[in-house]
Amino acid sequence: MPRSSLRARLVGLLADWSLALPLIAVAGVMLVTPMLAMIVASVTTDDGTFTLDNWTKTYRALSAQRAVLNTLGLAATVATIALVVGAPLSWVVSRLTRLNRAMHIGILNVATNFSGIGLGFAYVATLGAFGMVTLLMRRVGLEASPPPQASFWGLVMAYEYSNVPLFVLLSLPAMSLLRDEWWEAAQTAAATRLQFWRHIGWPILRPFLLADWLLIFTWSAGMYGVPVALEGDRPAAFRLVTVEMYRSLFGSLFGERRMPVFAVSLMALAILSLLAYRGITRSGNRWLT
Amino acid sequence: MSTIAIQNVSKRFGDKLALDGVSLDVKSGEMIALLGSSGCGKTTLLRAIAGLTPPNDGRILFDDRDVTHLPTRRRPIGMVFQGYSLFPNMTVRQNIAFPLKVRGQDARAIGRRVDELLALIGLAAHADHHPNQLSGGQQQRTALARALAPDPAVLLLDEPLSALDAVVRLHLRDEIRRIQQAIRTTALLVTHDQSEALAVADRVVVMRAGRIEQVAAPNVLYDKPTSGFSAGFIGQRNALDLPVLDGRVRLCGTSVPAPAVDTARALVFLRPEDVHRMDAGAGRRARVEARIFEGRTTRFYLKVEDEEGALDLKADWPSRDVEGLATGDTVHVGIDPRDVHVFPAATRATP
Amino acid sequence: MADLTSQAFAAVEAPLAPSRRLGRWRAAMPRGGLFAALLLAAAVLYILVPMLAVLLYSVATRWTANILPDGYTLAHWADGFADARFRTVLGRSLGLAVATAVLDILLVAPACYWQRVRNPRIRPILELLAAIPFAVPIAVIAFGLLQVSGQIVPALQGTPWLLLPAHMAVAFSFVYWSIDASMAAAGVVGLTEAARTCGAGLGATIFRVIVPNVGPGLASGAILAFGVSFNEIALVQILAGDRFETVPLYTLNLLKSTDADFNVLAVMTAVSFAITLLLSAGVVFLNRSVVDKRRAKA
Repeated sequence: MPRSSLRARLVGLLADWSLALPLIAVAGVMLVTPMLAMIVASVTTDDGTFTLDNWTKTYRALSAQRAVLNTLGLAATVATIALVVGAPLSWVVSRLTRLNRAMHIGILNVATNFSGIGLGFAYVATLGAFGMVTLLMRRVGLEASPPPQASFWGLVMAYEYSNVPLFVLLSLPAMSLLRDEWWEAAQTAAATRLQFWRHIGWPILRPFLLADWLLIFTWSAGMYGVPVALEGDRPAAFRLVTVEMYRSLFGSLFGERRMPVFAVSLMALAILSLLAYRGITRSGNRWLT
Repeated sequence: MSTIAIQNVSKRFGDKLALDGVSLDVKSGEMIALLGSSGCGKTTLLRAIAGLTPPNDGRILFDDRDVTHLPTRRRPIGMVFQGYSLFPNMTVRQNIAFPLKVRGQDARAIGRRVDELLALIGLAAHADHHPNQLSGGQQQRTALARALAPDPAVLLLDEPLSALDAVVRLHLRDEIRRIQQAIRTTALLVTHDQSEALAVADRVVVMRAGRIEQVAAPNVLYDKPTSGFSAGFIGQRNALDLPVLDGRVRLCGTSVPAPAVDTARALVFLRPEDVHRMDAGAGRRARVEARIFEGRTTRFYLKVEDEEGALDLKADWPSRDVEGLATGDTVHVGIDPRDVHVFPAATRATP
Repeated sequence: MADLTSQAFAAVEAPLAPSRRLGRWRAAMPRGGLFAALLLAAAVLYILVPMLAVLLYSVATRWTANILPDGYTLAHWADGFADARFRTVLGRSLGLAVATAVLDILLVAPACYWQRVRNPRIRPILELLAAIPFAVPIAVIAFGLLQVSGQIVPALQGTPWLLLPAHMAVAFSFVYWSIDASMAAAGVVGLTEAARTCGAGLGATIFRVIVPNVGPGLASGAILAFGVSFNEIALVQILAGDRFETVPLYTLNLLKSTDADFNVLAVMTAVSFAITLLLSAGVVFLNRSVVDKRRAKA
């Protein structure tokens, strides 16, 4: 009796998970094992003993410290600009009429997907030495040339291309939370637009916009395709963690253990970010039932 | 408190005419109910007075001051919305204080005024709660207090009771009327519920298709409707389609003059409480088809044997007088010709 | 009722000022007036200009000094499609993306369905897995897979057989969210119960009742998965390298090389952009009612 009921329970358990098992298996293996492997690799030597040497060696190098600071600085700048430009844009799009809105969302969608290598090329074609906009600017008389692609501002511009639209798309649902009725009620209470945004609009949106800032920050820190395309073979250029990872594999850097260390660093940043994100959105929802 | 003069106001949305040359004069301290079904323009008119949807034509004046194109925030109004529209990030106290804060009043004066209003609406115990912690009735009372905080010349209410359930609705309806009468603010309330309009207003404005059908005090509207539409909309009357002979209409043994009717048939209205029960031998015979108990009165669906044929009539009688009367029984009924309202046929629109 | 009225009419609200000449113009402006319109226009321009530049590049004869090319030609497009490498690369990317999309649907939809109808405890695990490609940079996953596969299945490195499950794993998040939202909106639990009381078995329920009702969600998810796979560079470069050149890798290689034909590269980029555009249009089209519902409720 006990044996058959145990078997029945196991069969029941299997049935409960059955249709989900293939997905869990594939996603689990392809996503979780590399993470674990990276963590292990970052704290072991070649013969498998536990060590923290990899971490100390990597971060003792000035280039690594530079890379981390640059990455954080770049990501923060990109996220902030995305917020400042993207939030008003998101609000405008959320208030468009149906057809108009769908069209604009489509365009934004395209921009977010265009964040890979293709963007690198388009960037050169537009703002490179002989790019379209560069030529236009010279024609019009503006002698200032766009920032070179491997510099801080060049990278910021390239990142913003897909990150501003991404911010807009991420924050659109939050914009829907802001009911038009509140603006009408504020008007009947004699508030100006500024007073509305200061007392009602911004306090309500703030947590969601900050959460989205965090998402863009994390996403930018981990971006790979664009920076590698723009500066992959120029070691002296603006160092970034993901590009360092690329170099450690395809270039000539000492100690292959740098790569797992960087990888785990990025993972740690991401996990911290995710926890902060959860906390912020939960507090943002507290007034909205 | 302001008078409101609405002069020939029109509003168009695309190719739909929402308001068609509406004119109305509201006295200071008066409570007006704008009554009608959806699409009649009552909400559009209210929003035009609020400045949220300015009119295409016509003028709106508060006490002889032209406010037609004045931005909402500069109008001396307070408004209560159907969905309460309380600011979710503020407490009850902060919501009520908002119109005063925005006008730059000093904190102590604001504090006193807010306490005064909290006492008025009876929510002092919930002063530091957020809207999502309050019930519907409590939220609406807070919205009312917020609207009244700056002592507005005009109070506007856009279907304030529609979102509440039945018991709370009645209670709050009386509250609103009580407060308005105490403060003597000029007030306009939009509703589609005719019993609500009759209960709270000094005068009722019946609207249809962007125009005003009739403006009258509730009892006048109830007793003397001036059009088929008003008659059909207010109260739950018997609506009958009867032939006109020699300028008169015959009903239940009486003859009623039909002076304004030039069509062959007439629309005749009779209230259920005006169908009287008579002794056997008098009046007309009628069979009870159904009875519905409604508390103080019971409604009877009768088939009356009249001259022209069978007539379907609703009658409301006090419940305690009709305990023995059941479906299938026979009664005798009669009417007073003065209780019958006659209109030309085809003026009745489905309300 | 007031809600619906104000919603419906907010879009065509007339201006405050009595000026009638500007009235119609102002009515067509987005909420926020001139500033908003300019912002929107600037954003659209900012997005479209680089794409325009690429497109022009792909049809230009010579283009060095002037804003617009000196001459136009379709020769580059002809050259591109005549080149075997070009065709192979494009074919590979398309094939990989289609496989990713189809397999992801087949994997995710049953899991989603089962989670809603049978075992809610599946949900936290799926959500956690779905969050990983977003929290953890794909480059990290790529390097990690390189490490692990090198130790366990080195033979697969460089082949699409390692790449395919990797793409499926990083794209599944989009598929999951799309299908999950669609199943929630369709109320699959209620549908399943109704089907059962009508006597339908699992297969009939799934194919005749559930799938027709979540069609747009499935299609939308597939399109998103396709997009992720098609544009993906990190996994391709690190796991397969030049042994399996896809469009993004091809683009990168050409950008790096010194004697590449940039015009042909422009053609490839223009093609990939066109595909992205179509995909995005598809997703927005399929989800148009979702955006409306959210606004209507607000």
